[in-house]
Amino acid sequence: MASEILPVIFLSLIVSFTSTFIASVIGISAAVPFSIKNFKLKKYILRINEVLMSMPPVLMGLIVYVVLSKEGSLGNYNLLFTPFAMIIAQTLLVMPIVFTLTVSSLSKVSVEIMKNCKVLGAGRFEIFISIINECRMQILSIITTGFGRAISEVGAVMMVGGNIKGHTRVMTTFIAFETGKGNFREAFIIGGILLFISLIVNTLIHCFKGEAE
Amino acid sequence: MSVRICNIQKTYNSKRVLDIENYHFKENYIYVIRGKNGEGKSTLLNIIAGIEKPDYGEVLYDFKTDCLRYDISMMLQKPYLFNTTVYENIIMGLKYRKINKNEIDKRLKRYCSYFKMGELMNKNAKKLSGGESQRVALLRSAILESKLMLLDEPTSSMDYENTLMAEKLILDMKNKGSTIIMVTHDMSQAKRIGDKIILLEDGRINYD
Ligand SMILES: Nc1ncnc2c1ncn2[C@@H]1O[C@H](COP(=O)(O)OP(=O)(O)OP(=O)(O)O)[C@@H](O)[C@H]1O
Ligand SMILES: [Mg+2]
Repeated sequence: MASEILPVIFLSLIVSFTSTFIASVIGISAAVPFSIKNFKLKKYILRINEVLMSMPPVLMGLIVYVVLSKEGSLGNYNLLFTPFAMIIAQTLLVMPIVFTLTVSSLSKVSVEIMKNCKVLGAGRFEIFISIINECRMQILSIITTGFGRAISEVGAVMMVGGNIKGHTRVMTTFIAFETGKGNFREAFIIGGILLFISLIVNTLIHCFKGEAE
Repeated sequence: MSVRICNIQKTYNSKRVLDIENYHFKENYIYVIRGKNGEGKSTLLNIIAGIEKPDYGEVLYDFKTDCLRYDISMMLQKPYLFNTTVYENIIMGLKYRKINKNEIDKRLKRYCSYFKMGELMNKNAKKLSGGESQRVALLRSAILESKLMLLDEPTSSMDYENTLMAEKLILDMKNKGSTIIMVTHDMSQAKRIGDKIILLEDGRINYD
């Protein structure tokens, strides 16, 4: 039992951490300057991201599937049904969440921080770092939200990963699969572990916040 | 550093806030700007500091359109203090300038002596009172010893003793060679330290 479950948990964590990490780095790096600048297309870019934020994972799965399949533009790399494909799909799902939430939670305060940094002689990079540093708590919560979306998501990883035992099977696809076979006990165990991981992540964040107070 | 304002116009929501044809702030003077609420004093300072753009016109620093960002420092009307200790807040701009530890200590000693900062230094800057915050904001700007210092109501929440010390600090900055442009609603303060007192009215600069 354990030898079957452990790789599933491990892969889940790897895929979700990696995709949350990539999505956060890109999403936050884009969101911080975006929250300061004012330009014509700003409203539309935000609107598009809000839509992408609530995109059904199966649709994202479908798109990534098509791009990675033999006929798709990245077909030559044979990425379909690998953990890489799952990371790509989840990164694309999490990125708009991180971006939109960061922009909306920083929009007021980031301009204020930028002005105060600037009049003390800060350069662009120093301003960027200051904003992230000042808003670290909000950003941490946003990353947690993104991670929650990644690790609990089933549609996209099922489609582009294929739920192959020992290769691309993660916790959520495991639950779906075992439930389908009528193995409720295994499904519940993994479900419990999934909840437990959320609990750990949330507790860590709260400890961190408490320390920062 | 001297500052020349050329044909600056600024409009917010179709309300003309600033419309200044020409004005020259001479080097090494203390200018005090007065005016009613909402007359555009902060807007003018922000434009000189470069954190707001005028709709039209330009600002010349020593007759040039641009200057080193290290040459200007400003204390905003509602300063944002960083979520860290008072000490870190005060030396923030020195860090941006990559100034060494020795010099940082020297300047801290020199400038913190104006106000009783002792117990405050290790406190979180977010937990300060209004007057304490203003002291920190004034210090972190003054400690940079920049050529041009812009102060937007620097003593509006300070008590009388601290206000006098702040004025002494500002006068000392002038003696060190800085040009100072400040806003205040305190007429007696303006008379105490201002070399030139300016009235901002209907978006224009008038002398009192
Ligand atoms: N970002 C903004 N958007 C819209 N209106 C603004 C903005 N900033 C300032 N204003 C308006 O411009 C006018 C001038 O504002 P400013 O802050 O320069 O006034 P002030 O002279 O500094 O007033 P106070 O004495 O109250 O500090 C005000 O009517 C204000 O409402
Ligand atoms: Mg003002």
